Amino acid sequence: MNLRIFALLVATMGLMFVSGGSASDVRAASPPALSILLPVNNAVIGNASPVPVVFTVSNFNLTEPGTGPSSPNAGHVAVFVDGGLRMQVAVDAFRLALASGSHTILLRLVMDNGTALSPDVSQSVSVNVTQGPATGQPGISISFPMEGAILGTDFYVSYRVSNFVLVPPGRPNVTNEGHLHVIVDGSFYAEVADYQPVHLGLPDGAHNVTLQLVDSLHSPLNPDVSASAHFTVHALVGRVIPVDYTTYFGVANLALAFAIVALMYRKLEA
Amino acid sequence: MVRARAPTGTTVTPHRRATAVALLLLLGVVGLSIANPSVAAAGPTLAISSPADGTVVGNGTPVVVDFVVSNFVLVQPGRVGEVVGPTEGHVDVFVDGGYTWMATQVEPIVLPLSSGSHTIRLQLVDDVGNALSPDVNTSVRVVTTQGPAGGVPTIRIVSPVPAQVTGHDVYVSVEISNFTFVDAHGQPNAPNEGHVELFLAGVLRQDLSRYDTGFMVDLPDGNNTITARLVNNDHTPLSPDVFATVTIFVKGSSVSVLYETLSGGVAVLLAAILVVLIFRRRKALARVMKERRETP
Repeated sequence: MNLRIFALLVATMGLMFVSGGSASDVRAASPPALSILLPVNNAVIGNASPVPVVFTVSNFNLTEPGTGPSSPNAGHVAVFVDGGLRMQVAVDAFRLALASGSHTILLRLVMDNGTALSPDVSQSVSVNVTQGPATGQPGISISFPMEGAILGTDFYVSYRVSNFVLVPPGRPNVTNEGHLHVIVDGSFYAEVADYQPVHLGLPDGAHNVTLQLVDSLHSPLNPDVSASAHFTVHALVGRVIPVDYTTYFGVANLALAFAIVALMYRKLEA
Repeated sequence: MVRARAPTGTTVTPHRRATAVALLLLLGVVGLSIANPSVAAAGPTLAISSPADGTVVGNGTPVVVDFVVSNFVLVQPGRVGEVVGPTEGHVDVFVDGGYTWMATQVEPIVLPLSSGSHTIRLQLVDDVGNALSPDVNTSVRVVTTQGPAGGVPTIRIVSPVPAQVTGHDVYVSVEISNFTFVDAHGQPNAPNEGHVELFLAGVLRQDLSRYDTGFMVDLPDGNNTITARLVNNDHTPLSPDVFATVTIFVKGSSVSVLYETLSGGVAVLLAAILVVLIFRRRKALARVMKERRETP
């Protein structure tokens, strides 16, 4: 009898050995759990990209909704964004298209009929979505006019922005996203949110223009990011003014008229 | 317990027979494994079948990664009754070194990537996320762009035309091909995407990041050379340089032609009158002098 048991043990061990099962790890039964791997809490999602969400469960079988009996160890994941149910998923990875701003993503394990487990199994993360880059220090420079330039009455101010996306104001305040304030001679002139050059028409004299990056609430960034250029306006600079002979013709006409009158007078005398 | 009798008359107890069968089974299985080394040595493999290394993915489309695995089963991690082993698990996806995605089935992985060069790495991991030993991974490099994946960019100035006589303000219209305009906000360079810069006499005047008409104002009188150049997102010229040039003539300021013409005309008329008067006076003087000489 003992030898029979020994034989069965040997056979079992042999089968396990060749199948690689000796290294396996059979988990003890425990309650379902959920863990969000991606995104990390307070992550900044740049370039308006969809938010990739990756999670793992344990002791829970993910099944498509409506495909099986309700069981506390099987079902799907209900996805809530900012408190509202957005979708239901039965895979470990999915994407969420979110508008710019701060959002809370909550994942909850639910049974096939949509009922939450008891006790509730859920986890949430906060993310900040921006149309700008997720990282990087914003910058701005003026490419025209150059410092010290002499310009005509009207011209366009051209600029370059880096690590910052211009969007119309009034949106949620998020990282690396906002618009431009144009300040001429210390006074607010215009706000720009479309990357187009800024037209200025100024009187003769010395002037300066400052372009300042601001957030969606019109507040300067911290630290301030701005660029200035000083220049002088001379009306008609670069223009060729031709000689006007009208005045000379007028003088000549007067002289000719005088000569004619004088000539006629002398003729009568003669 | 029923005992069997051996044909030879030798008594064989059942437990001895079971032991012998078990040992034979064990030896047989082990022997089979040894006799077929390919089965024993075949470990999990992972390969990316698409895209090919260095592929340019154009038009802002997501990158679709197709992959194949062998000797490895992709399963949902964390399922009930899970048994962690070296031959099953899932695929972790990394983009530029950052964890990006998890694949639990052999199906295309869709990755929306921003413009630029990216390295996509796939790695087989077991059910609890540990890399296999030895590590099984593969990677591919792709370049994504909002522009077309192929083709040579070109640019042509449609308006103004060469030698055109214009005023001091002029619209500049360009026509481009195989190139897509994007707002330059510091993003990486990518093939066939960027913006256009307008130069006047070699001096940068405007960055245009939209497919729109440029407007250059207050141009100086005389000949003006306008250059439109395609540039990368970091404002550097393409390689090779792609630009177009046109020279126009800005007509100088003019005075009132009407007044100048009228004044000139009157002057000519008065001068003619004066000449006639002088001529007639000289003739009259000559006639008077002749009459005086003939008069005794």
